[in-house]
Amino acid sequence: MKIVVAVKQVPERDAVVRVAADGRSVDESDLAWTMNEPDAYALEEALQLKERAGEGEVVVLCAGPERVQSTLREALAKGADRAVHVVTPEDGDDSLACRDTLDVARLLADAVKGESPDLVLTGLQSDDLGAGQTGVVMAELLGVPHATLVLHVELAGNGIKVKRELEDGWMQHVEIPLPALLTIQSGGNRLRYATLMGIKKARQKEMREAPAAAAAKRVDEVLKVSPPTRVKQTEMLTGSADEIAAKLVEKLRFEVKVL
Amino acid sequence: MIAVAFDELKVSMSLAEPAAFPVVEKVLLAAAIVASLGVFAWRLSPIARNVLRSKKDTDFSLRPVGARVWKFFWEVLCQAKVIKQRPLPGLAHAFVFWGFLAFALVTLNHIAVGFGFGFLQYAGAFETFYVMFAAVWALLVAVSIAGLFVRRFVVRPKWLGEKVSVESGVIAGLIFLLMATYLAALFVDEGGAAVLGLWWVHTLVLLVFLPIIPGTKHLHLVLSPLTVFLKRPEFSQLPKLEGDEDFGLVAGKDLTQLIALQAYSCVECGRCTEHCPASTTGKVLNPKEIVLGVRSYLNAEGPGSEVALLDGAQPALSMEAAFECTTCGACEFQCPVGVQHLPVLIGLRRGAVNTGAWEDKYGTKLFLALEKQGNSLGMSSAERDKFIAKQEFPIFDGSQEYCLWLGCMGSYDPKGREIVSDFARVMRALGTQFGVLKKEKCTGDPARRLGNDLLFGDLAEQGLKAFAVAGVKKIVTICPHCVRTIATDWLEYGVAPEIEHHSEFMARHAHLLPKQDGGSIVYHDPCYLGRYQDVYDEPRAVVATAGELVEAERHRERSFCCGAGGGLAFLGEESGERVSHVRAKELIATGAQTIGTACPFCNSMFRDALGAVGGETPPQLLDIAQLAARGLAMQTNDLDAKPGEN
Repeated sequence: MKIVVAVKQVPERDAVVRVAADGRSVDESDLAWTMNEPDAYALEEALQLKERAGEGEVVVLCAGPERVQSTLREALAKGADRAVHVVTPEDGDDSLACRDTLDVARLLADAVKGESPDLVLTGLQSDDLGAGQTGVVMAELLGVPHATLVLHVELAGNGIKVKRELEDGWMQHVEIPLPALLTIQSGGNRLRYATLMGIKKARQKEMREAPAAAAAKRVDEVLKVSPPTRVKQTEMLTGSADEIAAKLVEKLRFEVKVL
Repeated sequence: MIAVAFDELKVSMSLAEPAAFPVVEKVLLAAAIVASLGVFAWRLSPIARNVLRSKKDTDFSLRPVGARVWKFFWEVLCQAKVIKQRPLPGLAHAFVFWGFLAFALVTLNHIAVGFGFGFLQYAGAFETFYVMFAAVWALLVAVSIAGLFVRRFVVRPKWLGEKVSVESGVIAGLIFLLMATYLAALFVDEGGAAVLGLWWVHTLVLLVFLPIIPGTKHLHLVLSPLTVFLKRPEFSQLPKLEGDEDFGLVAGKDLTQLIALQAYSCVECGRCTEHCPASTTGKVLNPKEIVLGVRSYLNAEGPGSEVALLDGAQPALSMEAAFECTTCGACEFQCPVGVQHLPVLIGLRRGAVNTGAWEDKYGTKLFLALEKQGNSLGMSSAERDKFIAKQEFPIFDGSQEYCLWLGCMGSYDPKGREIVSDFARVMRALGTQFGVLKKEKCTGDPARRLGNDLLFGDLAEQGLKAFAVAGVKKIVTICPHCVRTIATDWLEYGVAPEIEHHSEFMARHAHLLPKQDGGSIVYHDPCYLGRYQDVYDEPRAVVATAGELVEAERHRERSFCCGAGGGLAFLGEESGERVSHVRAKELIATGAQTIGTACPFCNSMFRDALGAVGGETPPQLLDIAQLAARGLAMQTNDLDAKPGEN
């Protein structure tokens, strides 16, 4: 079974994100980068599928400038067999940051086509932009069925059976024929840690660089980038102790939703 | 009177030896000696081969020779570690050892007599003195070996293991016979059949004794002097991984000559097990069995083998056991024959973690937290930023004398933060200029002890860079794990600035700390400060300013672990009794009003343990920095209360 995992490199979780001087983009000069978390779970699912099947190939795919090779190396170190790097320029109109979701999905789908895999996995959304569209658009471009918010995949006959997360603790089990594309939800598996042996093996593995098509003209335009304004609300509950308790329970249950 | 008595003694105590042997007996003797030496060599050769064919220790260097000679003198010739740990049997063992040395000439002479070259039978002044000197030793050896026999086969301390080896009984009998025949020869007349009989019995005992040595724990007679001389100079010294195929101790091919030599030197006394916090609280790990497991593996698979060390045919070498070690080092510290357990235990972990064979929910979580967040508690670094801002710690800018290293506990743990804040108060009161790094990542201590070289290397390199960029010259910290890791373990990647533990800093300024009448305080020696860095007196000097210092039953070099080391603080529930509970009970039993700690991990372990076993009125738990800060606060309050008097 051949599986392609599309991953994205995003700023580290506690990175301090600054708006660039042009006011319309993020200043990337001081950022530390890491693998998008849902993509890490997609990779883990792929590796486990391969291990369970006892055969197969996991190809990891990433678009971006040269720095994304560290993320691809990390994936190779964790057990992926090969890497494909779709090279985009550091900045300018063709850079990843200036392309819209459809354009990025096209870049990735073009690279996937050459591989003709049985299964394509990717995270359900990215930690930085969080649009949650790249995966499903790719499926459309590739002309394969897809499932989103997948927690678990198992092989079933010629196809696969997946467990999807719905709301409020509900799960849906779906059977899908192959080839297919799945977007993976975080937390379905336990991630593995990087090992010295993995890193050393990764150096011997193939990392193919693929050219990126020029960006299509965007139909939308970024006007301004700004950090969200932080709002702190304090509400005093008044009344008798019983009334306060009742109001508190109501708020915890329906507004904060922790009860 | 004395001269007469001495004269009589001389007559009665000359050594009776057979005069001359017929040629047949000489040939028989020669044949017996050749046979004995032959069997000895035949039994020793596979062991020597296994040691010599093991992987070379690439980091080995004879230097510093002086330190090696001193260790040899102290640990082998003086038997210091044998005696210190178990005074009575230790002394008995020392008597047997010293007796053997004193007996060297007697034995040489004894064999020489058989060939007609005896040199001690002439009653000159030296010979007379020596014969009697040896007789005194013979008596001491006989009594000692009899005592040791009774201990092993009648008293049977559990540390010697469930099975008592028969051959040690045989050896004890042989040694006793050697001494008895020597002493008896002082009391028989020259020329009789008894003399010849005694001589032959003594000879045969010697010739039987020799071939028994290899293949039994008595091999330590031959190997341990060498092992003690050759052992790695540093405590818990981990070799650098070499090349692309070295991941630690994965299989026999990874066992080095030193490891093999040490495994064959083990005398199975069980001192390591007796002091092991894992073994003594009902866990699988038994450091003695680990060493013996390596020995059995070498015997079964040979050096160079590709067969995995862990979870194979040797039941003692299990993944579970390897990951129960707190790396407290009590085993390595007190081993009398020079076995160094930590490079083996941590080596096995390196083999398992560096190849990804170790799968553990908590371990993986810890590694991922260190990979992503850069701290062992998995917190966002923004939390540290907030803490620094709240405490108004200045950022290190090169103008201050010290860089105050917070560590994971000092940055993120509530109690660790209290300790750091109090230490900062002490430094401020003393007028010491300090600053903290804007960003800090873990030193990699838990990754290092759990055998994750990739992660440890990354963190060490980032840490070295951070200190270099900030221009740090001197570091001080509240955490002994950070001190050890930065000062010693980072050396694989570069030399860090000078670093000291806050106990050393405060001890230097102890005369400036206010004297408190703070009641009784029992001080707990952290493993990573005591055994790892030889710092025992400094924290005690700080405690002494705050109250009356009380010692727990096990203290200083013999201190018992809190259970947190070796990354175990992060690995979830332990099997058996909790190490921290055992230690907390021991500290409580001193009746002290306060428990003084010098490590944020110990503190955290005892905080939980006191909640469980501390009873209604548990002792107060304070770091030495908090003890010092308490004195300063009281002083300030006094000044505030009596402004008119100043």
